[in-house]
Amino acid sequence: MEWLNPYHLQVASFMLINAILGVSIYVTLSTGQLSLGNAGFMSIGAYTAALLSTQHQLPIPVGILAGSLLAGAAGILVGIPSLRLSGVYLAIATLGFGEVVRAVLINWESLTRGAVGIAAIPQVGRVILVWARDRGFSPESLGLQSNQFISLTVFLILLFSTLLTVAFFLRLSRSRVGRAYAAIRLDESAAAAAGIPTTYYKVLAFSQGALLSGFAGALFAHSTSFVSPGDFTYHRAVEILVFAVFGGSEHIIGPVFGAAFLTLVPEALRAISEYRYILYGILLVLMMVFRPQGVIDPALLRRFRRSGKGTPA
Amino acid sequence: MFLEQLINGITLGSIYAIVALGYTLVFGVLDIINMAHGEIFMIGAFVGMLIMSKAGAPLPVAFLGAIVVTAAMGLLLERFALRPLRGRPGASHLASLISTIGVSILLENVAHKIFGSGNHLFETPFAEISFTIGPVTVYLVQVVILLISLLLMAGLSLWLSRTRAGKALRAAAENLETAGLLGVDTNRMITTTVVIASAMGGVAGVLVGMAFNYINNQIGLSMGLKGLAIIIFGGMGSVYGAMAGGLILGLSETFVVAYGSSGYRDAIAFVAIIVILLIKPQGLFGQAPAEAKR
Amino acid sequence: MKRNARLFAVVACALFAFVFMGAEKAKKPAAPKGEPIKAKIGVISYISGQGAAYGEAITNGIKLARDEVNAKGDVLIDLKIEDSSGKQEQALAAAQKLINSEKVVAIIGPTLSNEMFAAGPEANASGVPIMGTSTTAKGIPQIGKFVFRNSMPESQAIPAAAGQAVKKFNIKKVALLYGNDDAFTKSGFDTMKETAEKLKLNIVTIQEFQKGQADYKAQLTKIASLAPDAVFCSALYNEGGVILAQARKMGLKVPFVGGNGFNSPKVIEIAKEAAEGLIVATPWFGEKNDPKVKAFAAKYEKAFGKKPDQFAAQAYDAFYIMTNALKAAGAADRTKLRDALAATRNFQGVVGTFSFDAERDVVMTPSVLVVKGGKFAIFN
Repeated sequence: MEWLNPYHLQVASFMLINAILGVSIYVTLSTGQLSLGNAGFMSIGAYTAALLSTQHQLPIPVGILAGSLLAGAAGILVGIPSLRLSGVYLAIATLGFGEVVRAVLINWESLTRGAVGIAAIPQVGRVILVWARDRGFSPESLGLQSNQFISLTVFLILLFSTLLTVAFFLRLSRSRVGRAYAAIRLDESAAAAAGIPTTYYKVLAFSQGALLSGFAGALFAHSTSFVSPGDFTYHRAVEILVFAVFGGSEHIIGPVFGAAFLTLVPEALRAISEYRYILYGILLVLMMVFRPQGVIDPALLRRFRRSGKGTPA
Repeated sequence: MFLEQLINGITLGSIYAIVALGYTLVFGVLDIINMAHGEIFMIGAFVGMLIMSKAGAPLPVAFLGAIVVTAAMGLLLERFALRPLRGRPGASHLASLISTIGVSILLENVAHKIFGSGNHLFETPFAEISFTIGPVTVYLVQVVILLISLLLMAGLSLWLSRTRAGKALRAAAENLETAGLLGVDTNRMITTTVVIASAMGGVAGVLVGMAFNYINNQIGLSMGLKGLAIIIFGGMGSVYGAMAGGLILGLSETFVVAYGSSGYRDAIAFVAIIVILLIKPQGLFGQAPAEAKR
Repeated sequence: MKRNARLFAVVACALFAFVFMGAEKAKKPAAPKGEPIKAKIGVISYISGQGAAYGEAITNGIKLARDEVNAKGDVLIDLKIEDSSGKQEQALAAAQKLINSEKVVAIIGPTLSNEMFAAGPEANASGVPIMGTSTTAKGIPQIGKFVFRNSMPESQAIPAAAGQAVKKFNIKKVALLYGNDDAFTKSGFDTMKETAEKLKLNIVTIQEFQKGQADYKAQLTKIASLAPDAVFCSALYNEGGVILAQARKMGLKVPFVGGNGFNSPKVIEIAKEAAEGLIVATPWFGEKNDPKVKAFAAKYEKAFGKKPDQFAAQAYDAFYIMTNALKAAGAADRTKLRDALAATRNFQGVVGTFSFDAERDVVMTPSVLVVKGGKFAIFN
């Protein structure tokens, strides 16, 4: 398979991790809560997975699961007090949370090794290759070189994870939970008056978003095999925000599209990569002025479906 | 050492206070956090630096230049990133927040393109002059910074309470619609507010250059986040809250480094935000807002 | 559900199409027909972003060497330069691109240890030699047998500087100051602490600062109040220059011993007279009375308008080490090149005599320098 290029697989893998991050901010946004702390939750997932696999030699799936759950638990801890806040206050508080997590990562050296970071995290593709070789399998039998096999494995695992995530939350948006989220987003007082337990749903959304961020973080650790506090700064939180704001904050496909597009374009246009953040800044302003709901919104989706089905709505 | 640290803390705190005032003015009138404020402050610092180092002009000219440039930026910000969002049915507060985040990213990286990423020297002509009072050495620069900050704060308070324009601004802060009904030109008012707030950021930028002698394109980010901490701590929309909060943060940071662990210095501001938001969301001096939740 | 299946199908197809677009035939390495050996070498460098100054110096050093080597003619190198912005995801993607799309025979870089920890294992797994010219963290060459570095780690430089300073100034009490949010300065600090303990010094205080900070008064006041005999400071030149200036201004006159980050003419530029007396150990001594060094410095300054620093010098040498190994290997073959690299002994570069040890790490003697009269000079 000469045409399988690990470079493209690598970029696609990053697109998928970013898609999960995009969904993570979308979930909380769907209840009207803007959380800028997802970089913090991501780091919790990443470091948990990294530490469990390097210090305690636990298998990769254990680390990923633990990282996600821990991040989700942190989400509950942050979500409950945040109930008292909304809008701008919430955004700032979560931003503060993210920075506090980063400060802890830098200073708690005995646990996290500080700014030096954690290296030699088992990379899921390489681990699987070794595991396969031990059982007598060799990638050459499929016509693949080792590095193609590694990149392909990583890509497929991430693809599966992303599809699972999107499918789950798509289903959720159709369920009672999803309808509650939408109601809370539109008018919280009305929703509460209608008997919806807003507290429960808001914290649920928050922890779901945190869990997803942690999940993405753990996957990130196991794909790049190195994490350090510098990967989880305010800039990362803003990047995640841009995925949802640009891609579309009203349907789950929005942030997925936003993440894919905004990961691919700077890579494809490496020449403009220097100006990436300048363009992001302009993009944010333009989107807010001209199309605040993002590129993909329900109206666009309806048009797309209509053109497929042929029946006017 | 305690007295020296105290002076360090007060100097730092008064600069923080001015930055916080910029945030609080805009929030009071527009109900939004201008996330680009920190970057405007950074640009003020660079303009001041350029004027003094490259043009060799004296300090007052640097202040003037910084004020002019940052005021202009405030004008542009309001006109292109904020005004189009007002009165739009779908746009929430979040839209303005996000829009200003966009501007801040833009400014931070444009500055990086133009000035590079290193530290630039900000030379104050009288930087070496100091007085020794007993065991303590006080620098003229520190005194000047404190004086300018106090003047600015006093001036702002007076302007808000005594002048017509100031009162109009307070009215607009109270309730934009009503103020409009009462004959206040709300658009003018909003523009004025953003311009004044930005100019204050510019002044703070020059003060930071004077205080630390070195500026770089990252100071906007950290100052911005700290400014947020201050106004939340002191109460969004409260002028006295911003001043008090700024001083308290400046002193806390200095003393934590002096007597505690310097590694957590930047985290203090954020821990403060979180604690205050949980205990008293309206801040020390803020009023409990009319609606149930803010 | 059907509509969403359609949506998924479209998105998935788009993704797959993109991924499988990379159709490229494998290129056979150039067979040596007479002369010259033609090869593609990839460079991953910190070109845009906060640390762009380092990437710029490195890339300049490599380009200068490339021009010289190509002019000589027995090896012709096509340089493929990619920007990683100091981010490990980008470094990893850049490595993949160079390895699989550009099919380079070797990679020089990335700039940061962080980036190497992400890109190194990938290059190693793909059988591509990768050499860091500025990556000084612990454990880098240990990543794999295809991973090399010619950047002298702090663990060699700092003990040399500290040892000589302690002897000369009879230092008993020392204060430590370092940037705790940067992997480089943090690991430099780890070495400083170890060294201080080995030399049985009394550590009076440990102060931290963060990158981009402009104000160090609080930390410096605290240090001054404890009256140490010297300060060991682990910082990059951006912060280091400012720290020196502020320290001297507030009356802290004791000797400063710096790590690798301080060895840059930029420190003198930023701190001016405050830099006098700074002690630092480094592989690169720009004022050395050596014709090779002077020629390089002159050429570099002519081409790029500034004096070369350690990053430029090590990158320049790295390129020569790489091409010498290429000549020894006889062909642009990744495995042969790796073996030739590993066998590099006593290479004479502008930073001195260089060899790889059994673990592909650096064998070099650092010079201990002091800033005198606005310039670096040998410290004795």
